[in-house]
Amino acid sequence: MAAAAGSIVASVVAAGEPVIPNYGAQSSSCVVHNHLFCTDWVSHNWGPVLWPALRGHILLALVAVGIGFVISLALALAAYRYGCLERPTTVITTILYTIPSLALFELLVAPVGPNVYSAEIALVSYTLLILFRNILTGLRGVPAEVLEAAEGMGMSRRQALVRVELPLALPAIVAGLRIAVVTIIALATIVYTIYNAGLGVPIHTALGEGPFKTELIAAGGLAILLALTADALLVLVQRLLTPWTRARAT
Amino acid sequence: MRGTKSGRLRTLIASGSAALAVVVGLTACGSSSSSSSSSSSSSSSSATTPAPAPAASGPGVGKPAVTIGDKNFAEENILGALYAQALEAKGYNVTLKDNVGSSEIIYKALTSGQIDMYPEYTGVLLSAVAGQTKNPSSASAAAQEAKAFVEKHGITLLETTPFYDSNALATLPAYAQEHSLASIADLKPLGSGLKLGGPPEFATRDEGLKGLVREYGVKPTFVPIAIELSYKALESGQVNVQNVFSTDGQLLSGKFKILTDPKHVFGYQNVAPVLKKSVLAAEGPAFEQTLNRVSSLLTLKAIQQMNAAVSIDKQSATSVAQQFLKANGLG
Repeated sequence: MAAAAGSIVASVVAAGEPVIPNYGAQSSSCVVHNHLFCTDWVSHNWGPVLWPALRGHILLALVAVGIGFVISLALALAAYRYGCLERPTTVITTILYTIPSLALFELLVAPVGPNVYSAEIALVSYTLLILFRNILTGLRGVPAEVLEAAEGMGMSRRQALVRVELPLALPAIVAGLRIAVVTIIALATIVYTIYNAGLGVPIHTALGEGPFKTELIAAGGLAILLALTADALLVLVQRLLTPWTRARAT
Repeated sequence: MRGTKSGRLRTLIASGSAALAVVVGLTACGSSSSSSSSSSSSSSSSATTPAPAPAASGPGVGKPAVTIGDKNFAEENILGALYAQALEAKGYNVTLKDNVGSSEIIYKALTSGQIDMYPEYTGVLLSAVAGQTKNPSSASAAAQEAKAFVEKHGITLLETTPFYDSNALATLPAYAQEHSLASIADLKPLGSGLKLGGPPEFATRDEGLKGLVREYGVKPTFVPIAIELSYKALESGQVNVQNVFSTDGQLLSGKFKILTDPKHVFGYQNVAPVLKKSVLAAEGPAFEQTLNRVSSLLTLKAIQQMNAAVSIDKQSATSVAQQFLKANGLG
């Protein structure tokens, strides 16, 4: 019986007509009818789809803001010390910031390739203006009398920077980080156009032909939650690092 | 390949040391609920095909590893999974990179050696990659012209699929009956009272409204409709006729009627694996035969069913491809 069926299948295949498996009845009716939110789909796809996308998104954003912060800190310190550097740095980072994101991602593909490097170069470039300006503003905001006091205590320039100026600039620096992090988390959803990572992948898939509401809500919701969580974490970090601001407030 | 990518990502992280503590915390708190090992696996299919382990025997054993890419939409994910799994079943060492990007991007990935092969539409190859504006006269002419173009760059095209995924015009059967519509030419008497929907770019493309106006003399009122809302716009009566894709799974429902395109304004969009000649030579004849065998099975009906399974039923391209290959003795 089975062998006979097999040979029929074989002859059909030989004639060029493929056997099409019955794909129906493998998905829940909630999914097939695209109801507003199917929890069964989310629980089935958390492991294979949503979590890898979320993790990839977090990595993309953290690497971008981390590298962006290091570069911006160096640029801001240089501009703080040598005022003549401020204008050219501002001009360059502003120009980078104004390049349309979708265009920048695609433009980078030619020299760098459709890979994680293109994605990170683009994301990092969008953090520079925000972080550079905030760090520099923070440093400039340190009152002159505080610096004089530090000098009077016998601190070297370097000691004053590390022990007085940077800590006092922290609220402005963290404010810049908060904007940068939220911006990059939002922007990273279009990385999917050149690199297969981040929450943009399921968002794009959800829009596909459907659009499939559950996946759109789940992936979009995760992006929003991630941005809010990251922002809250930074507020917490700032509170822990600058206990004196709270003491003054109370 | 994915492994090394995520490895690089982590290396980058290490340099952004300030963030590291947070990363560790985040990764740790979620890893218990996850079975995935890669940071960049796609939503439509996992890194490589999981179920059929590479065959221990077969013509592909010992041949150089091959990386297959696909573009970022359901049909391409299915095609990528089909070719990759069929080769794996023959013992080839295959890595599948999903969602590499648009035609322009993935073609670049092919020429720069980041991938060895990807499934491409012959008409897209001609228009988006070769920059040709003239419509080929037949499906085989399209394939030949595409092949002639890529072969100048050390790349070749294997046999094409029977199915083609081109633009198409759909309408509701009731509307078709009311105005006795069978082909696009029948739209002419409706004049500007006809509301024709499509994505904005449809209006300006030669294989879109421009071509329809020139070849059929139709003068519809164009309504811009986003691709994902196509069928909704038709059903709600927002448009009378809508630009869709011939392989859409939604067309299986019987709720829509496709108008024929006797003048072939929409061109020829059959699919063929595009790959480097050097790769084809290194992998041997069984490699080519396997791919051609898969392509030969891909009829319009087959790809519509698989698209429906992925786009409507939201099954993974990996499992949809696996079931199809198994049913056809290629799994």
